[in-house]
Amino acid sequence: MTRSEIDVLNPQTLDEALMLLHQDQPELRIIAGGSDVIVQLRDGVIKTKKLLNLLPLKELRFIRKIDDRIHTGSLTTYSDIVRSELVTKYARLLADAARQIGAIQLQNTATLGGNLGNASPAGDSLPPLYALNAVVVTRSNSGRREIPIEDFFIGYRKTALRPDELIEEVYFDALSENDRSAFLKLGLREANAISIVNVAVVLRGRKPDDSFTNVRIALGAVAPTIRRANKCEQALLNKRLDPGTMWKASTLAAEDTSPIDDIRGSAEYRKHVVTSLVYEGLYEAVVGRVKPHE
Amino acid sequence: MMESRQVPVEHVIAFRLNGKPVTVKCPPAYTLLEILRDKLHVTGPKEDCAKGECGACTVLMNGQPVCSCLVLVSQAQGSEIITSEGLVKDGKLNSVQEAFLEEGAVQCGHCIPGIIVSATALLMRNPNPTVEDIRTALAGNLCRCTGYTKIIVAVQEAAKKWSHRL
Repeated sequence: MTRSEIDVLNPQTLDEALMLLHQDQPELRIIAGGSDVIVQLRDGVIKTKKLLNLLPLKELRFIRKIDDRIHTGSLTTYSDIVRSELVTKYARLLADAARQIGAIQLQNTATLGGNLGNASPAGDSLPPLYALNAVVVTRSNSGRREIPIEDFFIGYRKTALRPDELIEEVYFDALSENDRSAFLKLGLREANAISIVNVAVVLRGRKPDDSFTNVRIALGAVAPTIRRANKCEQALLNKRLDPGTMWKASTLAAEDTSPIDDIRGSAEYRKHVVTSLVYEGLYEAVVGRVKPHE
Repeated sequence: MMESRQVPVEHVIAFRLNGKPVTVKCPPAYTLLEILRDKLHVTGPKEDCAKGECGACTVLMNGQPVCSCLVLVSQAQGSEIITSEGLVKDGKLNSVQEAFLEEGAVQCGHCIPGIIVSATALLMRNPNPTVEDIRTALAGNLCRCTGYTKIIVAVQEAAKKWSHRL
């Protein structure tokens, strides 16, 4: 199968897209921004006769605040997220992650729904979404499903998305002024780098003694899917977050990971990095950003 | 069993290229870059990595810099595409192109069409960029001659002369 034999379907409405998925799956393969799918097509990783191009569906490109949640359409690009006042105000860590994905060219085309659908364990938008308690909304001809993000990813590059479904939106907690958050990434360079390790931290329910009743820490590129740092979270819950407490908890973070050796780093290195990056993330969330060369 | 021979799929795709409407009949799963170069003979954008890492294929799509190797030609239907060639108006280079010549910012030249497009996009949204802004805007464009210093100087010079024409 060469690319000259692949048809591309361009539905103009969501209903039309759902009808095509209903009729033609499993022959159809969804494409959104294209930054993963086109590379995988050319590498022969994806073999398909038909692509369903979702880009014409402007109705899936939005960012809204409804009550205490932010809703983002699956075709929202990283540039949309970086420029969004809503995301910057209520979920800054997601904007910080979007800004560090690829470079501007990629941010202009790559979509949030694409990052979810591609399900790479190194996807930079995913740890922030875990830490923000995100819910993935899927649609098919037979209806809508709301899937908590931890149930959406079921294995290495495997999601709970059915062949007749597409991702409609993802919604997540809007943080308040009292909440604290951070996203940190270690790549081999500052731009156009796939993460060796990435970390998202969200601290909510702040009490006067600088402790938090809700701690969510998510780690990327250290397991087949994103992992919550459960032991680390437990060690931080309701504790005053002084540097000693944060460091001790950070040393537990690697216990919830199962990294592999690959061209970007060894498993052992990743475990070391997790401790440092979680500590740095906590420090940034609680105290403030550590500037380079300080 | 007889193997059925697949027939190439072709679509008629229309978009605006460098200010003029174009219509092209081609396989819809080819990349915009392949069609620009091989069918429309617009060779400013180059294919190097084909993964969105080098930026040599950068074009403006509806005013935004994108990697044309990561856009299906079918996805460009109805869009406005501008390559480095389209930045020349009435035979006159734009201020970024002029500054690259004046500052000697071009070595082998291979990456330059993509860099010119990225730098022009930067000045369109931010006519007074800091060095940091320039570095961020060009982070997706690799120069394997590593001539970055003069490239950044050229963009600074272009910003001084930037008149809002594209």
